[in-house]
Amino acid sequence: MTPMSFTDFAILLVACSATMLACRCIPLFVLKGRELSPAVTDALSLIPPAAFAALVSNDLFTPGAFAADPWGALKPVIAALLVAVVAKKSGSLVICAVTGLVAYAALLYLV
Amino acid sequence: MGTRLRRAFAAALPIMLGYVSIGIPCGILESQVGMAPWMCLVMSYVYYTGAGQFMIPNLWMAGTPLLSIIASTSFVNTRQILYSAAFSPYFGNENPLLSFFFAASVTDESFGVNLDRFEHDETWDGATATMVNYLSCSSWAFSNFAGALVGEALDVPTNLAAFAMTAIFVCLLVARDFSPRVTAVVLVAGVSVYLCKMLGLGGASILVGALAGVAVGVAMRGRGDAA
Repeated sequence: MTPMSFTDFAILLVACSATMLACRCIPLFVLKGRELSPAVTDALSLIPPAAFAALVSNDLFTPGAFAADPWGALKPVIAALLVAVVAKKSGSLVICAVTGLVAYAALLYLV
Repeated sequence: MGTRLRRAFAAALPIMLGYVSIGIPCGILESQVGMAPWMCLVMSYVYYTGAGQFMIPNLWMAGTPLLSIIASTSFVNTRQILYSAAFSPYFGNENPLLSFFFAASVTDESFGVNLDRFEHDETWDGATATMVNYLSCSSWAFSNFAGALVGEALDVPTNLAAFAMTAIFVCLLVARDFSPRVTAVVLVAGVSVYLCKMLGLGGASILVGALAGVAVGVAMRGRGDAA
């Protein structure tokens, strides 16, 4: 892995912050006193579940990993399932983060 | 001012504690790709996003091109459009500068806390909500900074540190109302990511997967399926 240079950092910071700022600020200023069409609102509402599902899948599943090391590939999945149960019961991001770290660490180092 | 700050602090405290628990692992992760502590601090104040700041080092370590990292993180953060739109009714009469600073610092967590207060507390205003955001932001930024300092001294396993955010994503995903359509969106997005990785499109997998999920959801609405 090549360490991130200052130039790379600066490009990432400026570009990512610009798009983030646009997403965060433009709607609030544009929509004062207005309403989005139901179709647009509906499509936008699908972004969070789609994005979170994509992120979870990206973190948990790697092609070939289960064939190469089934138990190793299963560990994060087990920890994630435990987090899902805790999330349903508590709804707390903090508790979920701590549960995930503890569960995954236990699976990595104790089991 | 004092009362307002106390109310903001009370509302922000759970968020601040949560940000310590995930900010430190994030700083550790960032330091492992070569980001100095000051870079983590600046990025946390300017960019200020847990998902994005975890994704950047992860994608960097995977060898993802810069443009793809920017596209992937930007797409993930488009949910902010919804949050921003949701707050617009409460900022109709607020100072534009205050509105800007508030909008620029909304996160998943502060969105939930502030929207709840705006809906249920008539005395909750833009200034107090903005204080909640920046108290939370400072907790996040200094936790990242501390994590980067620790990360330079300790060799904490990257996959373990990154799992804090996986847990957050799982929590945010599980919190959704799983109608048949949302379930289809989630399944299509998840499977699409896996297929993209199988095809060697790892860098674009999150973006393509999420777009595929949204497209299926929109198509199902077009067919008149229940939301």
